[in-house]
Amino acid sequence: MAAADLNSIRATIEGRLATELAGSPVIPVVFHNMAYEPTPNSSWVQCLTSFGASEYLGQGLTTNSQNRVVGLVVINIFSGKGVGPGANYVIGKRIRDLYNRVIVSGVYFDAPIGPEALASPAPEGYFQTQVRVTFESIEEL
Amino acid sequence: MATLRGEQGSVEFETGSGSLATVVGTRSWSLTIDKDTYDTTVHGNTFRQFVGGLISGSGTVELVYDPDATGQAGFLEDVVKVNDAADASFELFTTGSSTGTDSVSFGGIITSMEITSTVGELVVVSCNFITSSTITSNLE
Repeated sequence: MAAADLNSIRATIEGRLATELAGSPVIPVVFHNMAYEPTPNSSWVQCLTSFGASEYLGQGLTTNSQNRVVGLVVINIFSGKGVGPGANYVIGKRIRDLYNRVIVSGVYFDAPIGPEALASPAPEGYFQTQVRVTFESIEEL
Repeated sequence: MATLRGEQGSVEFETGSGSLATVVGTRSWSLTIDKDTYDTTVHGNTFRQFVGGLISGSGTVELVYDPDATGQAGFLEDVVKVNDAADASFELFTTGSSTGTDSVSFGGIITSMEITSTVGELVVVSCNFITSSTITSNLE
């Protein structure tokens, strides 16, 4: 029994994506607080993991108690502009399948949202879709 | 003045063959104590009058189900004990877990257990109980 290691949860989430996108065809992936200069018209992925408000689960204060730790993974998928959505959605399916209702290392992933096409890509010059996955982990004190 | 929040509470239980120990994973508990009343109104009274009678209690403990959590299995499976001699002991704490402090203790019988599994939600267990014999209140 110990407080949740949020960095371990983050590593579980991001490591899963890094491993998948390191396979063929390789897609570059960047995470929070990482510099990246994308190649024009190339495909690449940005993964942003954040934690939300924890909730009480069980009685007991700092011992013999549980909290629900919740969070959100936002995954932006960028692909070449003006060539249709196909290549982007192929990547989207890989990512969606990676988290869809999966339980790994104590992290429960919900059914994903998206990929949703965004009208205003950021950065500009790409076709952008977004996959969002909520997750939770049970903290046992 | 010291108000309390529900997360300060806890439940201790023993099934009749051990010692009281915390049931890990309790989410809530409730206890209702009832006292019978007997009508002692006689001719000539203007107002009805009563005396207190037998006292009994009942309540519910709700748990977030975890098959590995200490004390849970013994608690929720007590309902299937045959020829239950009401030898189980309960202590329900409003705060802390110091025996005889901020708690109500009693012997009792778990009379029903409901376990619920719903898509997208945690599996939860609800156990109802009745008290048997003395109820000791240390809520002051």
